[in-house]
Amino acid sequence: MSALQRALSISRKDVESYYAKPPLITWGLLFPVVLLLAVYLKDQQGYLAVCPGILAMTLLFGNTSMAAIVVTFEKRTGTLDRLLLAPLSMRTIVLGKALSAAAYGVCTALVLAVILGAALGMPLARPWAFVLGLALGAGIFSLFGLAAAVLVREVFEAMTLLNFFRFPLLFVSGVFMPLDTMPGWIYPVALASPLTHVVELLRWGLFGQSALGGPWIPFAACAAYLVAAWLLAVRLFQRRLIQT
Amino acid sequence: MSELNSIQVQVAGLSKRYGRVLALDGVSFSLGRGEILGYLGPNGAGKTTTINVLCGLLARDAGTVQVCGVDVAADPVFVKSRIGVVNDTSNLYPELSCRRNLEYLGELYGLARATRRQRAEELLGMFDLETRAGDRFGTLSRGLQRRLTIAAALIHRPEVVFLDEPTVGLDVPSAKSLRELIRQIHAQGATVLLTTHNLAEAEALCTRVAILVRGRILAEGSVNDIRSRFGKVQSLSVAFSGPVSEETLLASCPAVRAAAISDGAWTLDAANLHAALSQLVALADRLELTVIELSTSGASLEDAFLSILQQQDHAGAKG
Ligand SMILES: Nc1ncnc2c1ncn2[C@@H]1O[C@H](COP(=O)(O)OP(=O)(O)OP(=O)(O)O)[C@@H](O)[C@H]1O
Ligand SMILES: [Mg+2]
Repeated sequence: MSALQRALSISRKDVESYYAKPPLITWGLLFPVVLLLAVYLKDQQGYLAVCPGILAMTLLFGNTSMAAIVVTFEKRTGTLDRLLLAPLSMRTIVLGKALSAAAYGVCTALVLAVILGAALGMPLARPWAFVLGLALGAGIFSLFGLAAAVLVREVFEAMTLLNFFRFPLLFVSGVFMPLDTMPGWIYPVALASPLTHVVELLRWGLFGQSALGGPWIPFAACAAYLVAAWLLAVRLFQRRLIQT
Repeated sequence: MSELNSIQVQVAGLSKRYGRVLALDGVSFSLGRGEILGYLGPNGAGKTTTINVLCGLLARDAGTVQVCGVDVAADPVFVKSRIGVVNDTSNLYPELSCRRNLEYLGELYGLARATRRQRAEELLGMFDLETRAGDRFGTLSRGLQRRLTIAAALIHRPEVVFLDEPTVGLDVPSAKSLRELIRQIHAQGATVLLTTHNLAEAEALCTRVAILVRGRILAEGSVNDIRSRFGKVQSLSVAFSGPVSEETLLASCPAVRAAAISDGAWTLDAANLHAALSQLVALADRLELTVIELSTSGASLEDAFLSILQQQDHAGAKG
């Protein structure tokens, strides 16, 4: 069996154990649906503009949290040792854990998108760009969640650590406010945020337009962030999981 | 040399420090193919630490560690594919059924679907868990969890098996049947390193024992060897054809340390069996009695273990 097959085994087991549980799916959907409904009731013309932001935010919070919770939980119960004792490289383990979390994120966001399309008339101009945006965002944020999980011991510590990044990202990434209406000094910060690029790639997918011109800049930035997040997560797994 | 080839686990000068605690202090031992080594020591001696280094869960500070001829740190994947590990806690997936736990681990070890199914069924049978195969691991009693955890370590037919307190927390029949299973695993050719606090268990199972105290190996050898080298006290039971008083007995037989009588038979603790026997016979001759019953029982591994700990305490007090 190849390393990829073994990573898929890990993912399948995690989906079975954690992600396919109905409460988790509703938990993932409830918050964005309520938020969007609130925006819709307030502004029935402008609500569409925040759809990409809300979808990206769902990925950000859902994926970082779930990936971190699963790993912290398995560290506590000792079951993570089963993976560490098996003849697997850290890359295989990280890939398996990230794929399952990302699959959960993409599925939740797709269900959300279907609801938004059917109920509120959200368009879908470039389906492939949209799905690619979801997949890249889910991958990046899952890997960040994994990285955070091996740095700490408890779930709440992981959440605190992640919130340290997540909330600031939310404000600088054009989630609620279009990039071009932001104060000038935030713009460079916004460009450095992975969330910005996920939002803009999704915006391109939905409306065929993005604040960054076309899909290429956000796509390239997301790809670069994915590679960086992968290297970070693998390195931290190698460093932190073999106890010293 | 074939003897060298048959060394399965080779540990030399292994040291490990946790902050200020020196958990292992230059530990060396080796384990030949087909041996069962009892790795014994009091709480906190460093047994689990040693196993964790051997199976690649823990980095070492110094020393060399080879399993199946390969350094764990250099090629962890190779080593992990050849060892089976039972940690000191039963750490399978509580939400998965027994069968799914075994099959999933089979996947992680790269077994093809048909092979892992077949192996899982085989292990469920061998560990007498067929009727619980569909139950979630988390719902099993502690004893059954321990069984399945051991079964899981064997899914890929490992060459070397590390068992960290396999029978801890089990009732007497479960522990006994687990020991039987460990014998079976060994009979099928596996090399076993076993830690336990049950010295009778070690005595019954192990071909060799190593005694670890505060991170150092203080004694190593076959069970008989350790018993005779360190077991200070031997017990013997004697009956004479007529009455003998305790004072007379102790005065005439300096090799006897303690004596107690019940039902006309003496139970004696002897520091030196040979001397005690000749003194007892001389005493009987002098009193014109005969020895009508005599039996000896050598020091148990437990006596030897305790005397090693005592020596260490004295050494510690002096140092
Ligand atoms: N993660 C850790 N951090 C700090 N100290 C540790 C850690 N793990 C073990 N120790 C210390 O290292 C020493 C050896 O511990 P270890 O668990 O290896 O002993 P053991 O022989 O397995 O004991 P037991 O029979 O109780 O299982 C102990 O003093 C222990 O307190
Ligand atoms: Mg231990």
